[in-house]
Amino acid sequence: MRYILTSLLFSGLLCFPLANAWASSDAPLADIDFDRSSESIKRGAYAAKNTCMICHNLKYIKYLNLLEIDFTQSEVDTFRGKAAFDSPIKSSTSPEVAQKLFGMVPPDLSLMAKARRGGARYIYTLLTSYQVNNEGVVENHLFPGIKMPDPLTYAYRTDEARQKELKQTIQDVAVFLEWAADPRAGERRHLGMYVIGYLIVLTFLFYLLKRKIWSRLD
Amino acid sequence: MSDDEVKNPEKPGRRYFLETVTGVVAGAGVCGAAWPFISSMNPSTDVLAKSTAEVDLGDIAVGEAKTVEWQGKPVFILHRTPEQIAEVRKSVDTKDPTPDEQRVQKPEWLVVVGLCTHLGCVPSRKDKGWFCPCHGSVYDNSGRILSGPAPKNLILPEYEFLTENRILIGKKEG
Amino acid sequence: MSKLMSWVDARFPLSKFIKEDLTDYPTPRNLSYWWNFGFLAGFVLVLQIISGIFLAMHYKADASLAFDSVEHIMREVNYGWLIRYVHSTGASAFFAVIFIHMARTLYYGSYRAPRELMWWTGQGLLLLLMATAFMGYLLPWGQMSYWGAQVITNLFRATPFIGDEVVVWLRGGFSIGDATLTRFFALHYLFPFLIVAVVLIHLVALHSVKSSNPSGINLAEKDNIPFHPYFTAKDFYGLGVFLIIFCYFVFFMPQFFIEADNNIPANPLKTPTHIVPEWYFLPFYAILRSIPDLLGGVIAMGLSVMIFAAMPFLDRSSIPGGARYRPFYRVLFYVFVIDVIVLGYVGAKPPTGVLVVVGQVSTFIYFGLFALLPFLSIKEDKWLRKRGLPAEVDVLIKSESEEIEKKAKKNT
Repeated sequence: MRYILTSLLFSGLLCFPLANAWASSDAPLADIDFDRSSESIKRGAYAAKNTCMICHNLKYIKYLNLLEIDFTQSEVDTFRGKAAFDSPIKSSTSPEVAQKLFGMVPPDLSLMAKARRGGARYIYTLLTSYQVNNEGVVENHLFPGIKMPDPLTYAYRTDEARQKELKQTIQDVAVFLEWAADPRAGERRHLGMYVIGYLIVLTFLFYLLKRKIWSRLD
Repeated sequence: MSDDEVKNPEKPGRRYFLETVTGVVAGAGVCGAAWPFISSMNPSTDVLAKSTAEVDLGDIAVGEAKTVEWQGKPVFILHRTPEQIAEVRKSVDTKDPTPDEQRVQKPEWLVVVGLCTHLGCVPSRKDKGWFCPCHGSVYDNSGRILSGPAPKNLILPEYEFLTENRILIGKKEG
Repeated sequence: MSKLMSWVDARFPLSKFIKEDLTDYPTPRNLSYWWNFGFLAGFVLVLQIISGIFLAMHYKADASLAFDSVEHIMREVNYGWLIRYVHSTGASAFFAVIFIHMARTLYYGSYRAPRELMWWTGQGLLLLLMATAFMGYLLPWGQMSYWGAQVITNLFRATPFIGDEVVVWLRGGFSIGDATLTRFFALHYLFPFLIVAVVLIHLVALHSVKSSNPSGINLAEKDNIPFHPYFTAKDFYGLGVFLIIFCYFVFFMPQFFIEADNNIPANPLKTPTHIVPEWYFLPFYAILRSIPDLLGGVIAMGLSVMIFAAMPFLDRSSIPGGARYRPFYRVLFYVFVIDVIVLGYVGAKPPTGVLVVVGQVSTFIYFGLFALLPFLSIKEDKWLRKRGLPAEVDVLIKSESEEIEKKAKKNT
């Protein structure tokens, strides 16, 4: 009976956050294995700079942060152009112009991979869902009504080899934005391994001690 | 096992290996867990990134002093006249004797941290140097302490000339 | 050392306190691991206070700066991400531990005489914890923070006659704004210390009535063992297991308890498509939504939290303990747990279609179980006595009465 109670309680407690996650009725996300190597993230940074950052800000990432994803000092200097080393990455379109063009200021991308369920998968799915519809107009079939025009002209890449190439770029952008949303994730997981390892040892010692002390009662 | 042993299992003088090991491991863990909290009070990365300041010297006329901010502290930059240079080079007979040549990179430019070495007030410019309003310390045009309670000369920050007219105060990273 | 101790002891009962309330504190030897959760709750409280104080050193309670300052903590403060994730995960851990602690109390009937005051101070702690968590959730100033606070403060519109004024007063404005954020921060910093104070009362009460135990009957003196080293060892072992689970979430799934929408800065002009409270409020939130009337919903939700306090009155059985020796009560308990889980699920989903009905039925069952308890416990009592009590209970009751007799003899 005790075990039923235990499992009920724990599964019940886990149910709530899971139910939260199920509550979304979002579009189905692409199922891909991301290449999260630093080369991929770095390629993503260049691709994002040349496309996303034309309209979007990346205000929580400063140029100097690029050093963390294996940029060299001179690569950062080229990347930033005239912008200051410690200034945030800003879009090249002013908010006023963007407002006129799109009817809204494009959202900042620093936290996009955290602000959407699915994170990098969401970004990848969004960017690979542009199609030319029957009327010859480009639309996003999974996110209809999105104001962002097909930024990488994915819809027109019908030739398979070039589409594959573009998909690679899109996955690079997705993992770059994933890094931008959580630049401390690598450090966190690394430290986490040690912490959990230490705790397992400590808990085992506590267990031995507890057993030893309680054995006096037998 | 007797009732007494249950109630008072720790007999004096009996030490347990397991208890010591567990105690040491747990103690190390507590210290380790404290570190992130202590460390969080150190300057954050954005503050560290701002630990240098670039200053344009072009707009400081000869004989004029300018105060710039570096790491939240005032830095005095004095564009010294030939007479001022001559005067400070004449004597090193101060409380904290240091020849002026060791205190400047170029004779016409004096760069010192503008905090009195006594208790950290900002001295004000007075004809032949600086005067601290808090407790009356007097510094010359080389930032050397002449009189008053301050024990030491004004501190020299690290700086380098990027060009003829630009300096970078503080250590450059990387 | 001993000289210092005797100096202190002449002025303050320090040795006496350590001996009577920590090391030699008599504790029933048959406590199961379910009795670890009180200690764990205390640990999480301390963890939350420490991590909270360090976060407050970097956080800015200003509507235009709050969101940025949290990102500053996450990205630029040394180990800021760790302290923040400990605090955000700690909130969920606190509720998980408290819910288990409450479930144990309900299952084993620990709320029954003479521990009513422990149960009621615990009820007060639950309310304080909920208030603290609710106000803390506004501080990151994300979309969920903002709209959660907007919706919950709106509940006070149900106050008779002056509802609208009360809501404006609570917010310090006509909607959630800078004034709300600043006062929530001030109170979020204060409330934990109120919690500490009530915890102390809770502990003083505990040390006066002593721990309950799985048998549900006060054990004879001979069945108690000193708290140290037996229960210090047991509690620390439990703490280790807890920390492994806790740290797994902190280091590997820290976003699990943070809604995606809360990574979007608060926007008073746009409500997220689906607002959900934090998981620990979901069952109560589902009860609120199940009543199609604002005032009725608010009353039902308030009652659903406060009704626990009535347990010592509702349970009229004379059989010692809780579910262990009482089959009817046990069924009631499990139905209640399942019902709360169902309510939690309903609370997480948009209120449409069949889920509305499920929510209403579960709400009915929720209150129905409490209403049923007085009758059921009397019936069960009679039925059990007619069948004869389990031998184990008989032994326990006998040994307790011997103990009482012995004490009475000593006193005369």
